[in-house]
Amino acid sequence: MVMDLVLAGLKALQHYVATHVLTCLVPAFLLAGAMVTFVRREAVLALLGEQAGKLRSFSLASLSSFLVAACSCTVIPVASGLYYAGAGVGVAFIVLWVAPAANVLALTYTGTILGTEMVVARVVAALLMAFVVGYVMTLAFRHEQRETAMPSPSSEGQSILGRRATILLVLIVISLLAPNYLVAQGPYLHKVLLWLVLTLAFSGYAWFALPREELAQWLRESWWFVRLIFPLLLAGVFLVGVIGAVLPEAWIRDWLGGNSLSANFFATLIGAVSYFATMTEAPFVHTLMDLGMGKGPALALLLTGPGLSLPNWLAIARVFGVRKALVYVPTIMVLGTGVGWLFGNFIL
Amino acid sequence: MKIQVAGPGCPKCKLTEDHVRQACAQLGIEAEIEHLTDPAEFAALGVFFTPAVIVDGKVIESGHVPTVDKLKSMLSEHE
Repeated sequence: MVMDLVLAGLKALQHYVATHVLTCLVPAFLLAGAMVTFVRREAVLALLGEQAGKLRSFSLASLSSFLVAACSCTVIPVASGLYYAGAGVGVAFIVLWVAPAANVLALTYTGTILGTEMVVARVVAALLMAFVVGYVMTLAFRHEQRETAMPSPSSEGQSILGRRATILLVLIVISLLAPNYLVAQGPYLHKVLLWLVLTLAFSGYAWFALPREELAQWLRESWWFVRLIFPLLLAGVFLVGVIGAVLPEAWIRDWLGGNSLSANFFATLIGAVSYFATMTEAPFVHTLMDLGMGKGPALALLLTGPGLSLPNWLAIARVFGVRKALVYVPTIMVLGTGVGWLFGNFIL
Repeated sequence: MKIQVAGPGCPKCKLTEDHVRQACAQLGIEAEIEHLTDPAEFAALGVFFTPAVIVDGKVIESGHVPTVDKLKSMLSEHE
């Protein structure tokens, strides 16, 4: 019995990690490292600190969350920093939501495991929810008096991304997308070959175009992502395999099958309470879908899994105050349920 | 000199504190080193990206783990 579970865990590891290391994980970590190194995050924040119109600042906040933070651990100081520097409460909570719910690493991995349709749905749904959360938070706390504790960061006229760094980022994105989408049906060896050619291309470009110090910094930052996230990914995927072997299919079909409101709510609840290390939500959702989970609940779980967790609630309550956490968490749960139901029934 | 390291307790932040201690030891600087872990305090200091190093109230590094050499040159400049 125990042996069977260990085997199930190992099989999941082979299925979700071993076959994705070269063509998905390596370029994804390098991309995340490059974003941390080359994106001038102060310049992004300076744009957000401006008291612009809601539509503009909300879209800007949603889009820059993709650039600013690559995992949920870094996002709380960024969001609270923005808030205390005078950005609207809506903007701060949009950053807090979008960065973990739709970060680069998680999106890449979702795409290779669950397919293009689900990753597009994940991005669109995360952005949709971001706007509603932004408006709800702004509305709920519009009368609140607050002191801004610090000046907005000054960008000193810097652009967000240098030209050479932009080219490098685009080349990495190509090396990430091309093998997985152009050779989607072909043998694995073809994928690896295309990956190799493209990787040599961007490595060559980086070698000749970038100063040594920036190159070293980029590799160091990428290595940090590997060190921080890879062990969690291995442990998480192993657990996913074990859970998939233990859970009776009938349960999944009864509780999470179809696209009813209750199935969507249940998926949202699981996601909102439990902690998913970034990326592990994709194999978990894939396993549950194999066992009969509907697409709507799958989307709800993909979003709220990494986006919200009990430790996350507590941190938000401590940094932003209990009242804001009490508005934010239920809003996300209602929206997660609604978005899952909407997409599950009418779009996916 | 008062050196504060700001980070929510992640491995990067611990390494940053290590580097700060090494740099101080190598330069022979007597500094009071403090590790802040509460994000609410970061905001008051003007820190957005962790790990951050703050020397006498001034943020000298934010968002990356500084190397010992980089810290040494920044600290001796500060003195």
